[in-house]
Amino acid sequence: MPGQFVHVAASEELTLRRPFSVAGVPRERSLDLLVELRGKGTRTLAEQAEGSSVSVMGPLGNWFSPPREGATAILVAGGIGVAGLRYLAEEFVHDGRPVLLLVGARTREGLLDGLMPRPNGGITLELSTDDGSTGTAGTVCELLASHLERVENPARVYACGPPAMLKEAAAVALRHGLPCEVLLEEIMACGTGACRGCVVNTKHGYKTVCSDGPVFDAAELLFEGGPYA
Amino acid sequence: MPDITTKITGLTLRNPVVLASGTVGYGPEYAELIDYETVGAIVTKTITREPREGNPPPRLAETHAGLLNAIGLENVGLRRFLSEKLPEAAELPTEIIASVAGGTPAEFCELAGAVGERDAVRAVEINISCPNVRRERRPVWDDPEGTAAVVTAARSATKKPLIVKLSPNTADILSVAEAAVGAGADALVVANTMPGMRIDLEKRLPALGNVTGGLSGHALMPINLALVWKVSAAVDVPVIGSGGIATAEDALEFLMAGATAVQVGTALFLDPGAPAAIVWGIREHMRMNGAETIDEYIGLAREEKQRCTEKIAAD
Repeated sequence: MPGQFVHVAASEELTLRRPFSVAGVPRERSLDLLVELRGKGTRTLAEQAEGSSVSVMGPLGNWFSPPREGATAILVAGGIGVAGLRYLAEEFVHDGRPVLLLVGARTREGLLDGLMPRPNGGITLELSTDDGSTGTAGTVCELLASHLERVENPARVYACGPPAMLKEAAAVALRHGLPCEVLLEEIMACGTGACRGCVVNTKHGYKTVCSDGPVFDAAELLFEGGPYA
Repeated sequence: MPDITTKITGLTLRNPVVLASGTVGYGPEYAELIDYETVGAIVTKTITREPREGNPPPRLAETHAGLLNAIGLENVGLRRFLSEKLPEAAELPTEIIASVAGGTPAEFCELAGAVGERDAVRAVEINISCPNVRRERRPVWDDPEGTAAVVTAARSATKKPLIVKLSPNTADILSVAEAAVGAGADALVVANTMPGMRIDLEKRLPALGNVTGGLSGHALMPINLALVWKVSAAVDVPVIGSGGIATAEDALEFLMAGATAVQVGTALFLDPGAPAAIVWGIREHMRMNGAETIDEYIGLAREEKQRCTEKIAAD
């Protein structure tokens, strides 16, 4: 389901698996993952030859809620955050729901050309870059705010990206009286809720990203004082 | 077929591989991923008298060949453990060892008594060694007298096998081990995690919300292996080795150093099939080497060393 992730054993040299959002399901028993090169785990994965096998655990975690029938789903991604929303956008299009997808990055290089959802018929795609090199100049949350001023019949905001961007997207949605679901990322050990390692602070205490999430209602999260401050 | 049944003072396990406290939650969390029929026992998440929310995130930081954690004993508390978690764990096809931690000897007494009287609990593990809970005075794990006090209290509350989990973070583990055994411990776990930290260069902050955390995984193995060697020679109760065990070879090293059984924890995160693979590998090693029982391995390296020393002396 869109929002769920898989836990990948990238290398036997590592202690932990690496969680990745399901970025698409092109056919049965097949998954797309979008992997940003960040460290040893992602580099090891990228170096794998075509056809090699890795251990994949999952799908794990919860998933996004559907929007109201007929209303527009507003998806907001910061950088590699598009990985967490790509499959959702595709499913919404498949179900015939109107989708507004806003993707922002610092520069045009961060916009991950060619990795946008497919099919993209039915998706209104808007881009932003902080330096104005592509799309609207400014942050993706500023783009979100301007769209929420004029979009008809908005249903819900779905956001994925860096912590500061999620906090701002949630605040923008709230100002417009819209519910907002965010997809969170945390360093993760077990992936099953057992070890209590990947917690975030919520109004109902610490919750695990792996089993209570990774999708959270932004209104439940305590952005203050945690990594999402 | 080699016999891998393992006896730990009053507790017979079908094999020597036990899943370490804190890594499998209360058990059911991993039921889809671990075939519990393949493990000797599981130690449930340490519980305290009252529920604890644990430490602020981030709680994990990976290291070279290891993992730092600072969970801070997040747990549901004694009451919910007994009413909800233990009945669920009892359904799993393995033995349940309940881990408890208190702030005072009286709390250890209450906790050990309350979990020990449940049929589902086959043994009680006393956690005196969590490095992530702030203490004002000298920590119990580094204090033979403090250790004796909590073990005495727990011992008075239950007749079930009592296992005490020691810390590697002490200059004198033998005194702590002897104090635990003197106070009635039936077995010792050697040992828990070792304190450590990392810095997040991007945030310019300690990587863990708690600043320091307990180091587990392969990086810890040689440290705890040396402690097993030392402690198992000095006490007459079984020692359960723990620290970075991920393969059958790792487990066999601990057995040959003097451990009677092993605990596997961090290795589960990369491979939930690790415990089953370790059991299979131990059995294979026994078959290849004509060993009939696990006992033949326990302390084997010490015996060999002794033989070598005697031979040199005789020559």
